[in-house]
Amino acid sequence: MVGNRDQRPQLPPLGGGRSSSSISLAAPTSWASTTSVSASGKRIQREMTEFNLDPPSDCSAGPKGDNLYHWFATIFGPSGTPYEGGIFFLDIIFPSDYPFNPPKVVFKTRIYHCNVDSTGNVSLDILKDNWSPALTIAKVLIAVKSIFVNPNPYDPNAPGVAHLYLADRAKHDEIAAEWTLRFAK
Amino acid sequence: MVSELEGSTAGTSELKPLGIANDADSFLSPRFKSAAAMAGWDEEALLIASLVVDDTPEREFQQKKRSDLQRKSPASASASRRKRRTLTSIISIPVTVLDLEEEEPAVKDDGPKQEPKYAEAEAKKCDSMVEQKADASSLSSSTLPCMDKLREELSCAICLEICFEPSTTPCGHSFCKKCLRSAADKCGKRCPKCRQLISNGRSCTVNTVLWNTIQLLFPKEVEARKEVKECNSHEKKNQDPEKAFYSSLQNYNTRPTGTSSRHASNSSRRRAEITVGEEDGEWDSRMTQRAASSNAESRVQSRMHRRSIRPMRMATRGADVRSSRRGTPDQDQDAALALRLQREEFLEAFRDTTQVHTRSSLSLTRANIRAIASRAAINLRISGHQNL
Repeated sequence: MVGNRDQRPQLPPLGGGRSSSSISLAAPTSWASTTSVSASGKRIQREMTEFNLDPPSDCSAGPKGDNLYHWFATIFGPSGTPYEGGIFFLDIIFPSDYPFNPPKVVFKTRIYHCNVDSTGNVSLDILKDNWSPALTIAKVLIAVKSIFVNPNPYDPNAPGVAHLYLADRAKHDEIAAEWTLRFAK
Repeated sequence: MVSELEGSTAGTSELKPLGIANDADSFLSPRFKSAAAMAGWDEEALLIASLVVDDTPEREFQQKKRSDLQRKSPASASASRRKRRTLTSIISIPVTVLDLEEEEPAVKDDGPKQEPKYAEAEAKKCDSMVEQKADASSLSSSTLPCMDKLREELSCAICLEICFEPSTTPCGHSFCKKCLRSAADKCGKRCPKCRQLISNGRSCTVNTVLWNTIQLLFPKEVEARKEVKECNSHEKKNQDPEKAFYSSLQNYNTRPTGTSSRHASNSSRRRAEITVGEEDGEWDSRMTQRAASSNAESRVQSRMHRRSIRPMRMATRGADVRSSRRGTPDQDQDAALALRLQREEFLEAFRDTTQVHTRSSLSLTRANIRAIASRAAINLRISGHQNL
């Protein structure tokens, strides 16, 4: 606990360009506002330590660089799926009012999946309307991992893939495995 | 180490009745007392509570605490006890602390004389002691996972810290009051954990039982968060006097001015400011010129120019000029100004150490304070004249 308090002054620089620029723009009033900035920063930092203590299986995540609000995550394709053996990279961007708004999760590795479009956006209800501030990045990653196993073709981001998934599952799996081999290894 | 610990645990069994009879101080840990004070319990309640706790069957935890306290005092353990323990360790029977305690009082008396011998014995049976140590450590750590679980259980799912002023939803989930309120504001009135509708997220009440429990269990964390909260409110309060000062200054400026005494102080002020100018050469010549012409308007203009160079100092300098033009501010205002200048100096020093301004602004501040001092002296002199 005490350690946390000691780290507090370091948070604004970790918060990236936004907060540090607000300080350099001066006016003593910005000193008071740093506490509200660090509310989300504090939560993200806590999540990071908790994630490192007990990471979900086949997942890893952490800040990309100095910026606490920009994370990088990897998910290993679950066995028994066409994505088996692939390593999928994701970008996670936290909003400044983080636990109250969902993080933005984008696939950086190309994947043949009906819920992921060509730019990597994921259609996942908990990342949109069903977000809850009690969710954490660990839970989000577990949810992302679950759509590897159970794609949801009724809420597709890639309608063509969803159609093939429903019409010819074997063909779909074949293409997905091929993509995994080509892009995710 | 282990022997001492166990010895003292045994010792507590004799001390117990004494402690209860005499005073609460001897057997209540200071940490517990402070936590209790925080929860608003008085002495009497504490005493009663401790008696109640003593009667409960789960005594292990308490005794451990007490033994921790006593370990600091020189070993009161008797040698016979040690003998018994070493013997048991040879046979490597797992140590049961309670058994030892109950047998203790009978053999206590023949203590200190035999101690050296048994110290030797202990040295010999070092490895068996190691075994014991492992036992003891596993015993003592048995309380820790429980604490971790409690921490997990009592932390808010939104900020992931120990709940501060917990508020419980109708569906039975608890969050910090503040967290729950902002969640209801920003994410709709549903429970963050189970998505059930919360009837009224705005008027959430603190679950007092839970809050008191948290205060007792995690006094440090609660205290830390309270401090942060107080800090924030203090910052807000501190800004108020300054605003008051500014508004009073503005009122002051609108007042009609122009008596001879003010002129006198004005010129002395100018002198003080010339010394300011000397410190950066560019201003030096201008200031002397201005002193010769003593034209208040041109001075303000140059001030404006200066402002464009140092926008940071604008507010203070502006106020300063205004006051000096219109006349001498009274001592209260001077004090407020001095305080402000100091604070600004501090902030500036922290904000940009790389900028060249810092040095000159420091000297400016110093000169300002000097000016204030001279003004105060003149005020005194004037009042002295009036008295004569």
